[in-house]
Amino acid sequence: MSLETTLPGATPTPPKVSSIRALIARMVANPLGGVIGAMILIFGISCLLSPHFLTSFNMIIIARALAFIGLVTIGQAVLMILGELDLSVGAIGGLAGVVGGMLMVQVGLNPWLSLALCLLMGAGCGLLNGLLITQLRLHSLVLTIGMAGVYGGANLVATRGVAITGVPHEISFLGRGLVLGVPVPFLVLLVCLTVVAFVMMRTPVGRYIYAIGSNPQAARMLGIRVNAIRMGAFALAGFLSALAGILMVARLGTAQPSIGDTWVLSPIAAAVIGGVATTGGLGSPVGAVLGAVIIGIIEDIIVLFGISPYWQSVVSGGIVVLAISLDSLARHYLNRDAS
Amino acid sequence: MKKALFLGAVLAVTPLAAQAADTSTPLRFVLIPKVVHPWFDKLNTGARAAADMITKTTGQKIEIEYRAPQTADVSSQNDIIERAIATHPDGLILDLLDEKGNRATMDEAIEQKIPMTVFDSLPPEGMNITAVGADFCEQGTIAAERLATLIGKKGEVAIMMGVPTAPNHTLRAECEKKVFAKYPDIKVVATGIDNDSIETGQKQASAIMQAHPNLVGWVACDASGPVGIGQAIRESGKAGKVQEVGLDNLNDMLQLIRDGVAESTASSRPEMQGYWAVVSAWQSAMGQKTPKYIDTGIDVITKKNL
Repeated sequence: MSLETTLPGATPTPPKVSSIRALIARMVANPLGGVIGAMILIFGISCLLSPHFLTSFNMIIIARALAFIGLVTIGQAVLMILGELDLSVGAIGGLAGVVGGMLMVQVGLNPWLSLALCLLMGAGCGLLNGLLITQLRLHSLVLTIGMAGVYGGANLVATRGVAITGVPHEISFLGRGLVLGVPVPFLVLLVCLTVVAFVMMRTPVGRYIYAIGSNPQAARMLGIRVNAIRMGAFALAGFLSALAGILMVARLGTAQPSIGDTWVLSPIAAAVIGGVATTGGLGSPVGAVLGAVIIGIIEDIIVLFGISPYWQSVVSGGIVVLAISLDSLARHYLNRDAS
Repeated sequence: MKKALFLGAVLAVTPLAAQAADTSTPLRFVLIPKVVHPWFDKLNTGARAAADMITKTTGQKIEIEYRAPQTADVSSQNDIIERAIATHPDGLILDLLDEKGNRATMDEAIEQKIPMTVFDSLPPEGMNITAVGADFCEQGTIAAERLATLIGKKGEVAIMMGVPTAPNHTLRAECEKKVFAKYPDIKVVATGIDNDSIETGQKQASAIMQAHPNLVGWVACDASGPVGIGQAIRESGKAGKVQEVGLDNLNDMLQLIRDGVAESTASSRPEMQGYWAVVSAWQSAMGQKTPKYIDTGIDVITKKNL
């Protein structure tokens, strides 16, 4: 696979087909077409079926919930494009949250300094993962399962399972605040996404990440510092997870030991829905976050529609499988037509 | 006594409330427990019984929407509460995972003027909200005292903690430890963590009994753990030699008592908590003042009163 065809901006020429099919073809040919189409469809259906869906209050809820999972998704997507996976991102987020709470409440450190230290700690945890994976030549999936236990265990040792309360009010606007009606965590997500998307699409580092994900041996032969980039990507994932953890502490007003428990599988699912290949070299962080938007809308409508809790996983899982299948089928259909 | 007074007050205001309200429009209450769990299913049954009672008595239709988080995580629960607020229900009935962590979301419900009732937990400090439930510490104390009596106030015992991050589980464990500390000949030799899972409870209990062959008794801190303990006791052939006093009234727990594996269980009354939570929510929706706390009490269930 050539490097150009894997980049998000590089679209192959759409096949010549009839008018409606041409529109679909253009959508499908765009790397983000499938996920945008699915998102518009699910959004439209939700608007039609629930009068409570398209309200400013509900949009704020969706945006805020998206912010936390979206940040973790960006880091996980970069790793997946690189051909790696980090299953300890949730544990890093949780650990960063409780360490932040302890620094602010028990040590009495300045809240902003505490936040900065937590972000550094998160990046450090990610870097440690990367270091162990590259230097000991371990599989990232296996190593990070173990490290999730280490970070999660450290969280329980530090807190004894009890939430840290009394987090200073100075930081609460980071989790609860609104700027022009937009939740602050969502703005943080947009800033992070813009920066990471820019790096991925417009800088040599981004191209190297796609190259490594497509063929690490070839990338190494081209002189790309594969291990340094892999470690950097793990550090980025740790940093973004810690940021999500700290924002969640600001949102809740307490440092809960359970923060991050649900941040393991959803970001991977979001990235896959958004077109990131589990084998590496394909996709983009923007697509992954759009995948997270789809999951967020599904989670929202499940509650708005009052679907039984016992059916929730079946419904949300089914919609995700349907979205991925439709995208795959459309691509298969058009490829067959073109050949 | 408190309940009798409350019931009297409810019945006294019911005709007035029923007259004042438009009974053709159903009142919609959203019931949000801590997590998907059979204990909360029993509570949901009680809630629906209360809804039926109100409809039959007053003609006012009541809809109960049961929305349980898939995991016992505060942020997941807050997401569900917020989404429920977006639908503007007539009341929210909540089992708070952590009153401080839930506070910001509850403030949003207050801003939207949605009445709230909490059950099996206490409201955040300063919030004037009715709480329905039983005393967790009392429940743990009853179980531990009963076990102490069963084993003749001497020997090695173990405590199966529930979810280490759940405040009610932690509180029960602390109160159980305090009871055992009163008796110098009782030694707590192990504490397991079952994460409110029967399977985990069984594994932990089996391992602990292997490591401590002189163990004579078990207490637990949640509803699933004691079922796992009972299964481990049965598998190891130690029924009768190792005593168990369980917690709550899951069907599996009751079967273990019937089979003579567990001696008894100190059970909160989930159906009653659901019932009175709906009665309280209904009264709040009608604009009536409700009590600060409704204590639904604790049952000690044995083979005799099953």
